Amino acid sequence: MGFEVETLKFEGPLDLMLHLIHEQQLDIFDLDMAVLTDQYINYLHTMEELHLEVESEYLVELATLIEYKSKKLLPKKEDEADDDLEDPKDKLVRRLLEYQKYKEVTKTLYDSFVERQDQLAKPVSFDEIVKLSNEEDNKIEGDPYDLLKAMNKVLRRLQLSRPLDIKFTQKELSPEDRILEIKARLRDLPDTFSFDTLIEDCDNIHEYVITFIAILDMAKDHYLTFTIDDNDNIWFSRGTNHD
Amino acid sequence: MIEEFEIGQEMSEEDKQRWHDVQDMISRVETEDHEDVAQPTNMEAIVEGLLYIVGEDGAKLEQLASVIDRSLEDTKIILENIRTKYAAETFGIELVGYGSVYKFISKKAVFPYAQELFGASKQNTLSQAALETLAIIAYKQPITRVEIEELRGVSAEVMLRKLLARNLIREAGRSEAVGRPILYEVTEEFMDSFKLYTLNELPDLPEYSKDEENDNLFE
Repeated sequence: MGFEVETLKFEGPLDLMLHLIHEQQLDIFDLDMAVLTDQYINYLHTMEELHLEVESEYLVELATLIEYKSKKLLPKKEDEADDDLEDPKDKLVRRLLEYQKYKEVTKTLYDSFVERQDQLAKPVSFDEIVKLSNEEDNKIEGDPYDLLKAMNKVLRRLQLSRPLDIKFTQKELSPEDRILEIKARLRDLPDTFSFDTLIEDCDNIHEYVITFIAILDMAKDHYLTFTIDDNDNIWFSRGTNHD
Repeated sequence: MIEEFEIGQEMSEEDKQRWHDVQDMISRVETEDHEDVAQPTNMEAIVEGLLYIVGEDGAKLEQLASVIDRSLEDTKIILENIRTKYAAETFGIELVGYGSVYKFISKKAVFPYAQELFGASKQNTLSQAALETLAIIAYKQPITRVEIEELRGVSAEVMLRKLLARNLIREAGRSEAVGRPILYEVTEEFMDSFKLYTLNELPDLPEYSKDEENDNLFE
């Protein structure tokens, strides 16, 4: 047997089985479980030989295949009442077909997804002052994933606001320095202020990110508390640790 | 203001006249009340203005209806009129209502020029795993993590968290099943990203049966 490197990437055991069925030209409606199992094991061996990690999900399905194979080898008693249980082979075929359906439909969905990206909208226009007065009495703690979402929005706005401005600069600014800068500015800021206010003095993405890391640290140390509104804007107010 | 000519430079009478004309025009433009801009008299124009302001966030039918104090049906008609108006080839933007959120977006034909203007932009992508997970949720929602995993045969935990962070899915309460697992459903953002007005517009899932040629199954 020649040396063969398979570089195909599979989305999981079901994806791999569909590939093997196709490759071996098996009839999915009259599935030859023995061939499928052998090929499946072969593939896992190849992966191991290539020192690729075999994810546990592949082993789970392998167990199902082998269980089926072993059951077939054992003599079956006539009166064994397993009629109410779905035949594991039928179950596997059903799962494969079901998975194949969704895999198939993603192609159409992806086309729409790509198409939609050629059509753009402008960011919302709103008055920050009005927003601020509405938000003030409404402090809630967000979770880190909300913060991540909000930060994405900030970065997108940065991208939109300076599309034609290309600069190459290198500035060193550590989060620690940035925290000192922010603390110095805190007393001049209103009780509640937005992330946008905080980054007014930043002009590149590096400083945005450093500022973001800085406020994460400050939130952790209770210098600041943050809240995120429905429009994914980040608002801050002084925390319990502020003097 | 336009810079004055350099001192000492000779100006012909004709040039001087043109210079004055231009100055005249500029001062008129700067001081005039722009009375040629008529204020809108119908709701259609007001809604159009609102849609301009809300931008990519868009506005829901219910929101617009309550703001302009009209019934949902009336508002729908207003929106449809605006949509038809902008669908004409004389406009560069169009009105869409994916997931019942209405917003103006640029027409497809504008995109190549936008690329020219902004330089090549990086497009968002979705992995095959993300697409499969989204497809399963969209067709079967509300659905639990375990059900998704059963269908795809792989763990879905990390993927669900990524999709939540991208605002493509959200939690939709809890299932009555043992352990009361969290249910997931797709968001308006998903509808917008995949150009869907309602979930009924999702393409039909292919049906495989024994009678069919097996080749169809794999194209």
